[in-house]
Amino acid sequence: MDSGNLPTLQASYFDGTSARAQAVVLQLQGNTLHLSGEGIERSVDLRHVQWPERTRHGMRVAHFSGGGSLQCDNAAAWDAWSRSSGQRESLVVKLQQSWRGTVASVLGLVALVMALQIWGLPAVARAVVAATPLNVDVSMGDAALIAIDQQLMTPSKLPVDVQVRIRSALTHHLSTLPADSLPTWTLVFRKGGIVGPNAFALPGGTMVLTDELVELVQADEQVITAVLAHELGHVKHRHGLRMLVQGAVLGGLGAVALGDFSTLLAAVPALLGQAHYSREAEREADAHAMLVLKAASISPAVMVTLFEKMAQQRAAKSTINDGESDDSSWLGIAFRSHPPDAERIRYFRDATP
Amino acid sequence: MSDSLVSLAPGRDLLKPDASRSSNQLCIVFTGSGSEYFRIWIVNLLLTLVTLGVYSPWAKARRLRYFYGNTVVDGEPLGFHGDPKKMFKGFVLVGLLFGLYSVAGNFSAMAGFVAFLIVAAIWPALFKSAMQFRLANTSWRGLRFRFNGSLAGAYTAWAPLFAFGAVLAGFPFFLPNADMEKETAVLAKLGAMWPVMLAVMLTGIAATPVLMWNLKKYQHNHYALATLQTSFKATVASFYMLYFKMVLLMLVLLSTVAILGYALVTVSDLLPQWMVSAKIVVWIAGMIVMFVLIKSYSISRMQNLVWTQTGNASLHFTSTLRFNSLLWLNIKNWFFIIMTLGLYWPFAAIALMRLRVEAVSVKTSFDVETMVIHIKTVEGEAAGDASGDFFGIEIGL
Repeated sequence: MDSGNLPTLQASYFDGTSARAQAVVLQLQGNTLHLSGEGIERSVDLRHVQWPERTRHGMRVAHFSGGGSLQCDNAAAWDAWSRSSGQRESLVVKLQQSWRGTVASVLGLVALVMALQIWGLPAVARAVVAATPLNVDVSMGDAALIAIDQQLMTPSKLPVDVQVRIRSALTHHLSTLPADSLPTWTLVFRKGGIVGPNAFALPGGTMVLTDELVELVQADEQVITAVLAHELGHVKHRHGLRMLVQGAVLGGLGAVALGDFSTLLAAVPALLGQAHYSREAEREADAHAMLVLKAASISPAVMVTLFEKMAQQRAAKSTINDGESDDSSWLGIAFRSHPPDAERIRYFRDATP
Repeated sequence: MSDSLVSLAPGRDLLKPDASRSSNQLCIVFTGSGSEYFRIWIVNLLLTLVTLGVYSPWAKARRLRYFYGNTVVDGEPLGFHGDPKKMFKGFVLVGLLFGLYSVAGNFSAMAGFVAFLIVAAIWPALFKSAMQFRLANTSWRGLRFRFNGSLAGAYTAWAPLFAFGAVLAGFPFFLPNADMEKETAVLAKLGAMWPVMLAVMLTGIAATPVLMWNLKKYQHNHYALATLQTSFKATVASFYMLYFKMVLLMLVLLSTVAILGYALVTVSDLLPQWMVSAKIVVWIAGMIVMFVLIKSYSISRMQNLVWTQTGNASLHFTSTLRFNSLLWLNIKNWFFIIMTLGLYWPFAAIALMRLRVEAVSVKTSFDVETMVIHIKTVEGEAAGDASGDFFGIEIGL
């Protein structure tokens, strides 16, 4: 075999069975790597060699798939030999080894993350939700209600006639809208306990209203209808399932990016991203509430009343433990699940004739 | 000291021990650099996102190749040569399993419990093949490492840990259903359950050291290279001692934070608004410091305990990782990671690896060049390798 003109390289060879290094001279001929040294004459097909990539630190080690390796302390000499023997570098290595490529990667990454957060992920979540049958929502909602009843809330103490009045008021106000624009819903009453005045929708259409909220607004049917119209917005847009999908993807991405450092820190981007989606969902639900209120000729100002009453109650409580949620600071807003009250009040007030 | 060694690293001869090997002290030097790993990491991250995760086994292989290739033992680097295509299959399998597990709990407690049982049944086998795959694809001086642990051993090591998990996960079924019973009956039944729960939790806490010892024993008894196999000599008592100190440290820190927190709350009425906001930041910083303190302590002491007690008649590991050094490094890493919104992470990873790896040294009573392999290494399934990532299990050092 005549290979006198091909570039050569000095390297150490480990045969895979002994820990002793042997000096060899390497030559690359087409797709075959030739090793020659004292008592060694070996030719290996390149498909069975894991070729080392160029790095600034570290030696060059080529592993043979059947065991054994080649090692070269002089990384620069290896790289030069490898290049002159016709070995091409992958695009990934080129990117990794140039600062220009790195800066481009950082910018690309930032753009990609933003695009994913704003368009990509919501689109994916919408598609997944659209493809998921409704009874999945229903069974999730049922499981959630059981858990709530076991751990969080107790049966309602509200007089039955008040419950009936609220339910029929809601049915009446919703009847002004075309039936096919509304999801199926059920309304249940619970004593909130530590949850306090609140109303929320579970996936599948069950809305939970706490006695405390009814008392807070003095059982005002219009205010309660507004609140439940907002919750019905969550049901209609299937926000529960959407948040689940978005949360799973965000958590996965966070774990990929930072999970090997700290699972605690990896949760932060997911938390921030999820809070952003939650605020978007609240805005969507507010828009739905507005739709219902207009159709039922109720003034959107009733929502403003609710916010003011909630704020009063919070203020009364905050003398005991203050500063835990500071609405105005950017840090507080970034992690909040709802848009700031001021913004929501403005939304409903501006719509009030 | 480490910095000067690292800058000398390319001239390997400086690292090589003298030709006259009087004591075979093999020192470990880490030659990786933060700025270079940053470039590798950012490209990995970008490609992983662009391909919606498909690239991640390739990213992992590149990361491991860089870390292993820069871990220089007695002048010769370790090598990782896992095939990303094999790792990809495992990645998909474990991804599906984990996805199923995390979704199941949303439908019913029963589905979640069944998913937990399925994972618990498969997990020890995955763990064993993870160890096998990782070691079979790690080499030094052209020799491949092996993991000799048996399947039965894996189940024995993990079963007690999962037994406690199953009791905790199965707890919701013992709870009465509120729809069926009166409120008072529910409360009475809950009241009866709580001591049982407390007892289970306390037993769990009390048993943690022996269970961890059991697991570490399984790992460290079965590392092998050429004709050598390690054995694990740490005692159960030493694990209890370490956990006792960890719990003590945690209690001291928790009470400090509680007292400080109480003081902050009581004076906050007198403070201007911006100081009240600053208080939250101080609070978060305090929690992180506490977390870092406990983590640094447990990681440094555990590494020293486990590795110093690993070896055999002719091979002995020593780990002298200092709590102070690790604590200082972790605080620095956290600070810069938060300040740079995560971009400092690759620098942190390299610094952490350097500190932890260079704290270990190996002493042998023979010339390492005389090692010979007779046994063919069994590679194991790449599926396990991916599971190590999902469940946050640390393999090796």
